[in-house]
Amino acid sequence: MSKEVSLGKTFTAGLWDNNPVLRLLLGMCPTLAVTAAVKPALTMGISVIFVLLFSNIVVSSIRHLLKPHVRILMFTLTIATAVTIADLYLKAFMPEMSASLGPFIPLIIVNCIIIGRAEACASKNGLMVSITDALGMGVGFTLTLCVLAAIREVLATGMIFEKAIPAFTDFYVPWAAMGMPVGAFITLGLMLGAVNMISKKTT
Amino acid sequence: MLANEKKNPILFFLQESWLLMAAAIVFGSLLASLNAAWQPKIVQNEIDKFDTLAGRLLAGAESFESVPEVVPVNIGKGKTYSVEVKKGIDANGKTVGWAFVCEGAGFADKIKLVVATDAAFETLAGFGVLSSFETPGFGDKINIVDGFYQSQFKGTPVAELELTKIGDPEKVDNQIVSITGATVTSEAVVNIFNTFLLPIKEAMRSDGLLSDQLSVISYQ
Repeated sequence: MSKEVSLGKTFTAGLWDNNPVLRLLLGMCPTLAVTAAVKPALTMGISVIFVLLFSNIVVSSIRHLLKPHVRILMFTLTIATAVTIADLYLKAFMPEMSASLGPFIPLIIVNCIIIGRAEACASKNGLMVSITDALGMGVGFTLTLCVLAAIREVLATGMIFEKAIPAFTDFYVPWAAMGMPVGAFITLGLMLGAVNMISKKTT
Repeated sequence: MLANEKKNPILFFLQESWLLMAAAIVFGSLLASLNAAWQPKIVQNEIDKFDTLAGRLLAGAESFESVPEVVPVNIGKGKTYSVEVKKGIDANGKTVGWAFVCEGAGFADKIKLVVATDAAFETLAGFGVLSSFETPGFGDKINIVDGFYQSQFKGTPVAELELTKIGDPEKVDNQIVSITGATVTSEAVVNIFNTFLLPIKEAMRSDGLLSDQLSVISYQ
């Protein structure tokens, strides 16, 4: 019973208390770079969930065999393998999306969330906890990216998922800056401020 | 340390790194298998994208056939870029033009274009963007199909192109009017044309693919 509670807490921690973007400020590069629209943000999020799962499962499975001096090398090897699989998959089955995300899928290798969870969770915990942690962190990251991307896409183009929003089409003048890096910084800053405000009120 | 020094160094190395070597073999095999399974699909995707872009530029082209020799183009700093020129063929087997992929440095990252010319390699049929990561709202206007920037290249003579900030974009000549707020991107595209067009034309002529009279001869 206590294990179930622990798994639930592990999962929800990634969504709010330890949200990788909004609370730990990790993975800022893709957060700022691929959130001009929801579709690429969702693809990035799902790719990160896959890499987190792969890496946490492998690292957790071999945690008793890991020696301190090969630890980081093993993490890097595992993460690089998962990222290469994700990159190849997108190139083969989602070529347009792969082209639009450009170098940001291969750059998941250097995303601190992945190596951070391998070190902080998977190398110290069993398989179930590691899988739950990967799902929680991955879903938390994906949701944050999608919310940020939805705000930017709507304000920059008056569309969502590349489809026009009927209420916006009559009067809305697209705010091009929101589709540019400045829009990412402003929106993320406002989201971080809002999260800080909410968490101060609740503590 | 002393205990380590007494051990057989090869055995010691294997004891310390066997996991890493085993993982490298397993992961390497996994990637090799996936790559072998998906590579044909990836290659086909690239061919399809080229055919779509080049087919839009060369109306009437039913298929594209590679020219036997790749053309090495000097892109500066001692580097060369191998260009695979493809011949656009219509339903009757007649050459309707030439198309090739070329690239150069843009504002944010490399810009990769599909460029097409007429059958005599005298006039540009235009260009399409294979990949670019230029600034949204500014440099990415080069992606707009039939936008004012792309349209300027249709019918332009195959010669040295010149970028200008003021001019008539509808006038068909070798002057290309830049996109406001995206001069670097506009210049990058013009530079790509200037780097690739004439050397490719020259190479094709010397390979006998274009006659001296600038009419097309078949190499089949």
